[in-house]
Amino acid sequence: MIKILTACGAGVNSSHQIKDALEEEMKNRGFDVSCEAVMIKDVTEEMVSKFDIFAPIVKPDLGFKVTIPTVDCGPILYRIPVMAQPVYDQMEETIRTLNKK
Amino acid sequence: MGSIIHFANSIFNPIIALGAAPVMLIVLTVIALLFRVKFTKALEGGIRLAIALTGISAVIGLLTTAFSAALTGFVNSTGIQLSITDVGWAPLATITWGSPYTLFFLLVLVVLNIAMILLKRTNTLDVDIFDVWHSAFVGLLCIFSGANLFIATLLVVMIGVMKIINSDLMKPTFNDLLHNDNNPMTTTHMNYMMNPAIMVLNKIFDVVFPWLDKFDFDAAKLNSKIGFWGSNFSIGIYLGVFIGLMSHQDMKAIFVLAFTAGTCLELFSQIGNWFIKAVEPLSQGISNVATKYLKGRKFNIGLDWPFLAGRAEIWAAANVLAPIMLGEALILPGNHLLPLGGIIAMGVTPALLVVTRGKIIRMIVIGALELPIFLWAGTLAAPFVTHTAKLVGAFPTGVPKGQLISQTTMEGPIEKFLAYLVGHATSQAGMYIVYALLAIAGYILLFVWYAFQMKKRNRAYADAKANG
Repeated sequence: MIKILTACGAGVNSSHQIKDALEEEMKNRGFDVSCEAVMIKDVTEEMVSKFDIFAPIVKPDLGFKVTIPTVDCGPILYRIPVMAQPVYDQMEETIRTLNKK
Repeated sequence: MGSIIHFANSIFNPIIALGAAPVMLIVLTVIALLFRVKFTKALEGGIRLAIALTGISAVIGLLTTAFSAALTGFVNSTGIQLSITDVGWAPLATITWGSPYTLFFLLVLVVLNIAMILLKRTNTLDVDIFDVWHSAFVGLLCIFSGANLFIATLLVVMIGVMKIINSDLMKPTFNDLLHNDNNPMTTTHMNYMMNPAIMVLNKIFDVVFPWLDKFDFDAAKLNSKIGFWGSNFSIGIYLGVFIGLMSHQDMKAIFVLAFTAGTCLELFSQIGNWFIKAVEPLSQGISNVATKYLKGRKFNIGLDWPFLAGRAEIWAAANVLAPIMLGEALILPGNHLLPLGGIIAMGVTPALLVVTRGKIIRMIVIGALELPIFLWAGTLAAPFVTHTAKLVGAFPTGVPKGQLISQTTMEGPIEKFLAYLVGHATSQAGMYIVYALLAIAGYILLFVWYAFQMKKRNRAYADAKANG
């Protein structure tokens, strides 16, 4: 199981679009992923450390260094499939580098 | 003719009599089908909306039942008339989406956006369907204040045009704030319609307090120190304790208030998510249709505001402004809202970020100066919010009659005053017509001045890029 963390303003709109899209697309590509969506202001260093990949809209300034791989997922929100494609590809590549099942 | 009306009544009346949740289930499903959404997806959206409406009603009930006695006690013991419960954004959004007029305003704004793209008046395709509720709220408040549908629609369209123009004006600033010139992200979000007013205050700041800028601090550091103490449930608990103490409740009652507020604030955002998911199939359907008709055009994409949420200043300013707003609410004449669900001012700080470009002290000072406008607008809208909540069945029947709900920091406070004036001008005429016309003229002139300033800023960005 690959654990992905995503975040947005209220933790209910943009981040959930990213969560649903990533879970569906990565499942189609044969990966077992679980994505959690939270309010970006609630993201702490301890929280991030419990996940494998961080998937924000755009890389944020959190006040601490994010040590897990980060994939910017903003293009998923454009609602145009071809624009989201590169994000999914990069996510797949990142998952492969984790060497996790 | 009579038989046609009779026939229509015989079909629609039993459906309307079912109540708001089933009606919206049917309406949302049918509209999604019109945008060629698959039937099961369309129905899923409709059912989710009905569940969100029912859920939000339950939580409003929980909150208002627990707090109504304490708020009355608060008024009695302090003499401060803060009797309106601030339920935050999610109930207001759900209530607004519970009205069929919202879908009408949505269709009008989608057509407006496509027309502006085809006429080359904008480069922004707005796919943030969910936030249409901010505009619909203005239209509904205008109707509540006495306007007919036509006048309310004109007001919504006028603000809609300006919001779309604003998204183009802000685009280079977004690129600057994101440190990324190669992205199509922009937004038509209502909160940025405060930009013109903020820019006036920012210009005054330039003259009076420019020396304050050197005290700017690291916003991200502050946020990481605050940690979970700034989360929804913690804030609910502080305010529950605060209201409990001020209204002279006993220890047991104070704990009940604190934990109820914490629970409700967590649940509001959960249920907010349910209804965003409800609108999701329709959002995708509309985006698919729009992009199909606009093939070959390159445009920026209008999103919900949080693509900027990674900027720490938004949250640092919101954290610092929360206690400031509480203080202001207690002493501000004409305010009857006690900050609770809306105390983290997400509808206020993104516009401050865009205008000041991240100067945190300015964001806080200007934010503190503009918050009264939000408190007054929230107070002004409370009878309408409560009325609409009852209309769509999202207001518990057991709560005392005079109990009102609203939000302290809802985006678009100036637009609420416009809606109020335009509504009254339509129904009562007289001096209201003069006030409404003056207000609209002032609103447009301020926007024109702001647009001029932003174009100057954008030229500076273009020059820097050309020279860089």
